[in-house]
Amino acid sequence: MLFLFKYRFLQTVRDLPIMFWALAFPLILATLFYFSFGRAGLSATGESKWEAVKVCVIDHSPAFSSFLQSMDGDALNILPSASEKEALQMLDEGTIAGIYYAGETPSLTVGRNGLNESILTTMLDTYNQNAAILKKIAETHPENLPAAIQSSQDYRQLVYETTLGGETLDPSVQYFFALIAYACLSGAFLGVRASFDSQANLTALGARRSVTPTHKLTLILIDMLVLVTIHFANIMILTIYIGNVLGISLGTDYTSLLLVNFMGSLIGITMGLAFGSLTKLSLNIKMSLTVVITLLPSFLAGLMFANMKNIIEQHVPFINRINPAAVLSDAYYCMGVYQDMDRFVRCIVTLVIMSILFLTAAFLGIRRERYDSI
Amino acid sequence: MIHIENLVKRYGSFVALDHLNLQIQEGEIFGLLGPNGSGKTTAICCLLALLKYDKGQITIFGKEMQPDRYDIKKDIGVVMQNVAVFEQMSVWENIDYFCGLYVKDKAKRRELVEEAIRFTDLEEYRKARPKKLSGGLLRRLNIACGIAHKPRLIILDEPTVAVDPQSRNKILEGIQELNRQGSTIIYTSHYMEEVEQICSRIAIIDHGRVLATGTTEELKNMIKTGETITIEAVAADEHLLEKLQTLPHVFDISYEKQVLKIRLSSGRHNLVRILNFLTEQDISFGRVFSELPTLNDVFLEITGKKLRD
Repeated sequence: MLFLFKYRFLQTVRDLPIMFWALAFPLILATLFYFSFGRAGLSATGESKWEAVKVCVIDHSPAFSSFLQSMDGDALNILPSASEKEALQMLDEGTIAGIYYAGETPSLTVGRNGLNESILTTMLDTYNQNAAILKKIAETHPENLPAAIQSSQDYRQLVYETTLGGETLDPSVQYFFALIAYACLSGAFLGVRASFDSQANLTALGARRSVTPTHKLTLILIDMLVLVTIHFANIMILTIYIGNVLGISLGTDYTSLLLVNFMGSLIGITMGLAFGSLTKLSLNIKMSLTVVITLLPSFLAGLMFANMKNIIEQHVPFINRINPAAVLSDAYYCMGVYQDMDRFVRCIVTLVIMSILFLTAAFLGIRRERYDSI
Repeated sequence: MIHIENLVKRYGSFVALDHLNLQIQEGEIFGLLGPNGSGKTTAICCLLALLKYDKGQITIFGKEMQPDRYDIKKDIGVVMQNVAVFEQMSVWENIDYFCGLYVKDKAKRRELVEEAIRFTDLEEYRKARPKKLSGGLLRRLNIACGIAHKPRLIILDEPTVAVDPQSRNKILEGIQELNRQGSTIIYTSHYMEEVEQICSRIAIIDHGRVLATGTTEELKNMIKTGETITIEAVAADEHLLEKLQTLPHVFDISYEKQVLKIRLSSGRHNLVRILNFLTEQDISFGRVFSELPTLNDVFLEITGKKLRD
């Protein structure tokens, strides 16, 4: 039976139009998504490189100056300036966001309103508050001053920005999950083509294969095995391309990723086999309709408009439960973002049930050995 | 070897096979001759258990044919009317694939594939993809895929449609060679010359019924026409045609564009008698031909229409 596997494999991977839809098209889409959403997503989440706020310092009271120096290179970028006049000129030109006056009473001059100016103001306010507290402690409880100074230097970040699963916050990732789900469904193109070659009432090839002594179910099972293998490889190529070449984080749970990719490949192929075997249309019409049956569920799952899935969830959640693209992207999201195992398992079980239903329909359609008309 | 009894196949109210009966013996090249739409391909599809039929019985090699009779199927080779090969695989790969559906042993299969390639004269093209082949070569590949496993029974459904004369002759010679090597052949065609050339027995089929069966000679003997005399450049009138009709053995006369066609039943000196008559009537004429009946005459007389109508 190995030769059957080999020849079906060769025949499929050499079918360039089919492989374009199943492999090249999702890769092209991923690249376009990267340039459209990927970079925007990265900067929106603050993962892009932070630029420290440029500032000049006039006068140099030891306390405030040392406070500012401790921020230099991190939140602040203190530029050297010879005089106040020179610093004001730099402020006018927009080279710096503000000027700190580190005199007896520290003050700040800013050129306009904005994020950087707010940061400078907040830093000055923080210093003034701490200075006032320490001054009061020195007056009332001087014995506690060392502990208070120690405490003011013990800065703790109490709020962390993270996902439930601690994985990724990149908002653009949902587009890439929807894209991988679409790519999985694109296996339908392979399934439709293969089903066409098995039906004696549609093609001479189908007739020739049907009159041989090799059991038809054997042929169908081998076809399916080959197609799932090829499509699983397609999805892995796409996943590696998105994760390693485009640098979009899809999570670190590789076992789950492999499982969802496999289920996605299986559902795409079986969906194509079922659609191909239950309809008596020409190959061109079937292929055109396959574009619809892969893109429409993907659109509903948020491939073109990320909020679509949420809108459906609010109004007709049942659609999201039976839409294979929605279930697949949900499984990817559970794995890569939520780390919600219960929901992940529910998605996988749904995909298994869908695959069994598609496979049963495909078998019922193709296994027929005698036709009413040819 | 093959018995088809009272086979009936209907598509709604249309009767495609109307109580079709056929008996095919081992070692024959059996021709199914009929116009397009006469039921030849439908009969073949029923024979191969691809089509459901309404009534009748089919036995091959003494066993009832069913879709799951793989023991019967392994001894049958089929060459479909439409070319059935994988576009993405080479000539060698296609033959190997289809042969492999019958023969599991790799070494034996390799031998059979090589033999099929030699047999169909495709050695130069073994690595070529079907797209690169001409119509004739493609038909030869189609045949190679169907016969590589050396089946006892080979069914060829119009294998020479849209093939150039040179390739057609090669294909016909090949079929005769397969028969000499021991295969029984069922050959369907609407080209009577081909059927007449290679078939040892013929069934004429129309409207899903077998109208006549026999060897070429037997079929020709079944009809009234023994000879057709064609006379060119003759000026005939109604009176002359009426007189000709009264001559012995003459049973049909047609006259068109100064060409006189006289069909006669078998008899001695028919040509001499006709020419003497024209000389006596002082009628001048041009070239004269005398032809023995063809299958077309047989078909014409049995069905009342020409084969390619």
